[in-house]
Amino acid sequence: MAEREAEIGFKKETVSKLLSSFFKEEKTKLSGDAALLVAEMLRVFVQEAAVRSQKQAESEDCDQVDIEHFEKILPQLLLDF
Amino acid sequence: MSDRDESQQRLKAAVHFTVGRLCQKTGEDNRRDFSRQVIASMAETAFRQCDIFAKDLEAFARHAKRSTVSTEDVKLLARRSTALSIYIQNRSEELNQEHRDLKKKNTGKRKARDTEEESRE
Repeated sequence: MAEREAEIGFKKETVSKLLSSFFKEEKTKLSGDAALLVAEMLRVFVQEAAVRSQKQAESEDCDQVDIEHFEKILPQLLLDF
Repeated sequence: MSDRDESQQRLKAAVHFTVGRLCQKTGEDNRRDFSRQVIASMAETAFRQCDIFAKDLEAFARHAKRSTVSTEDVKLLARRSTALSIYIQNRSEELNQEHRDLKKKNTGKRKARDTEEESRE
């Protein structure tokens, strides 16, 4: 089995509970592997948000990533996902 | 606060925690910190994105006449970006391989156990 290095990510259980709380129907369930994949997607989503915001801050010569940087990249991020 | 609100708050806090850690790592790699406001906004956005994911996944599963969301549904979720789609497909393959490896290991153990018991009789 390939060993994955300790990457920061969302816990399978958190994602499971999160998605389940948003399902409209009671009978809808989530497979274990599906939960793991959604956790990956969520991690990529946040990482993209972070990297794009940081690049925006860089292009504006700012020392810190602020809310306006995040706001500027948000529309495209949502469209890309 | 109702039970449901409480559990939602706990989930939001869990999301916020991981978002914070991811931002910290990105900040370290690029030597630029993220303001607390950004992390909070990102966490809120991620939380809301989960709602969208959940509704889409539920719709895909229902369309396939299933009540359990599968990896196939998640692959469909990633369709908008080619890179993301490939990444998720690869990860799904890795998980399948892990299952296959685990099965082989268990079958091997069972066969060895059975042979042992046979020779003892």
